[in-house]
Amino acid sequence: MSNREPRASGYFRSSYDQGLRLVETRTQWTSLILFLAVLGIFPFVASSFQLDLANQVFLACIGSVALMLLTGYAGQVSLGHAGLIAAGAFTAGILFKEFGAKFWVTIPAAAVIGALIGLIFGLPSLRLRGLYLAVSTLALHFVVVYLGGEYETKRGFSTGIVIDVPRIGDFVLRDRKIWYFVLFAFAAAALLISLNLLRSRTGRAWAAIRSHETIAEALGIGVPAQKLLAFVISSSMTAVAGALFGYYRGFVSVEAFSLFLSIQYVAMIIIGGMGSILGAILGAVFVTLLPYAIEYAVGLLPNARSYAGMLAAFNYAAFGIVMILFLVFEPQGLVGVWRRVQNYFLLWPFKQKPLGGGRK
Amino acid sequence: MSALLQVEKLEVVYGRAITAIQGITLNANKGEIVALLGTNGAGKTTTLRAISGFLGLDDARVTEGAIHFKNENLANRPPYLITKLGIVLVPERDKVFPNLSVVENLAASVPASGADRKRLEEMTFAFFPKLAELRARTAGLLSGGERQMLALASAIVCGPELLLVDELSLGLAPVVVEDLAQRLVEIRNQLGITILLVEQNAAVALSIADRGYVLENGRVVLDGDATRLKNHPDIQEFYLGGAGERRSYRDVKQYRRSRRWYG
Repeated sequence: MSNREPRASGYFRSSYDQGLRLVETRTQWTSLILFLAVLGIFPFVASSFQLDLANQVFLACIGSVALMLLTGYAGQVSLGHAGLIAAGAFTAGILFKEFGAKFWVTIPAAAVIGALIGLIFGLPSLRLRGLYLAVSTLALHFVVVYLGGEYETKRGFSTGIVIDVPRIGDFVLRDRKIWYFVLFAFAAAALLISLNLLRSRTGRAWAAIRSHETIAEALGIGVPAQKLLAFVISSSMTAVAGALFGYYRGFVSVEAFSLFLSIQYVAMIIIGGMGSILGAILGAVFVTLLPYAIEYAVGLLPNARSYAGMLAAFNYAAFGIVMILFLVFEPQGLVGVWRRVQNYFLLWPFKQKPLGGGRK
Repeated sequence: MSALLQVEKLEVVYGRAITAIQGITLNANKGEIVALLGTNGAGKTTTLRAISGFLGLDDARVTEGAIHFKNENLANRPPYLITKLGIVLVPERDKVFPNLSVVENLAASVPASGADRKRLEEMTFAFFPKLAELRARTAGLLSGGERQMLALASAIVCGPELLLVDELSLGLAPVVVEDLAQRLVEIRNQLGITILLVEQNAAVALSIADRGYVLENGRVVLDGDATRLKNHPDIQEFYLGGAGERRSYRDVKQYRRSRRWYG
């Protein structure tokens, strides 16, 4: 009887351990290696401008993956992300200016400061949910930017803090190509840390909290501690991204960390697809490159010169429109599109995926 | 012998104003199924919340009395620590994580320290073979009965000694309720888990329970053997539908009050 039932095509796990593997199938291995090869060759063929774009994407990736952990997995909304990036950048800048601290001191320091801020601004999450929590995290942004601005004016760096090119031993991080590999390493580390967290007890607890806090607590999950942990880890990673951003630009100033930056990060995880690390990466790529794509597209229009002044306005408008379009038509984000394409090929010639749990 | 769970003269106040529980004393011995019966607002769910530590959700607190589990006082413990002690609540309505699959739902439960998760999960699947079939399905797409099953399964993965089941029959077909009730009996028989069952459906509850308590307006008005309760005229009349004519809840209350005062 059961033999005659239609079987689903695709890849199915047959043991619990398989669910824990990072890379499960041979196809995944091949595509991963190919992807890494492309990333490895890219800096040697790309122009300086393209390298800068790639570096920006790496920085955005760290931030968006961190925000995805907090919002997409643990379900705690944060609008203070730009504040954390600012906190990291200012930690690096101030430590450098005041104490001449080295790269390998300032980066861990930024991580620690980020973690502390995360702990403090995670506390409201124990009482507040949803919209109310979002507003309380907004406060974080204003506090950090205010403090940064105060520091700038008090110390006379009213235009911003200039950070020297960092060195690690004899290794000078000046070239964009070198930065490419450094930022790639940091992004990869952030990614691995996140993936490992998510397949551990912590990840399961976060998924449960996002789904339903009360049941999570009834089933023995220490909700307050797990929420704070999510804030601490996410903030710490974001602050490191901020410090790297400061070094990469060689310049730290409050103007770089507007509320719009926070919105951009939220947009990354929404456009990418909530609850997916791949989504965070796709979203980071998309949102980082969108303004450049628009600039390029406007350049193609006849009379391009006359539009040049309106470019910023175009950017904001396009950003808003894209957000709305995604929310309405593709709530699962880019990763939803990706999954549909994947399923199409996996299931061909069939069209429907069985409601999970058909036959193994 | 001291009971596994002892609730003594418990008093619970909502928002500093409404005394929902007015001195309830009850106990559950190891391996028993104990039913808590009563109409809406009698204080059944509040009692369960007091035991499982969830009173804070609705700004309620214990003002008097004590709850002892294995001779430990449960006062002021957060819910997840009470779960760790071995008391697991299966809540009333939302009981599963709707956006997670069946397997992920079970994986979210935190087993008591030292327990073997894999063994517990396999045991649970053996108990609920239906869930093993549906393991990859998103819990939000399960039927009500399957969801209730999954909720029980998640609770069992925590490795409890005392299971608090709130309204097992809520919104389920009689056939399904019957089946689930039998599962509860099996859970008790095979795993030795003590069960405290809150129910509106007295017939179902008394058919599987060893003992029962009837609550009304935050007080225990009747208690004793399940068979004794089943044959008690008041229970027959109000909870098992023995009354000739339907009475509204208000009538029931007034009727009872008059009996208490005049008779």
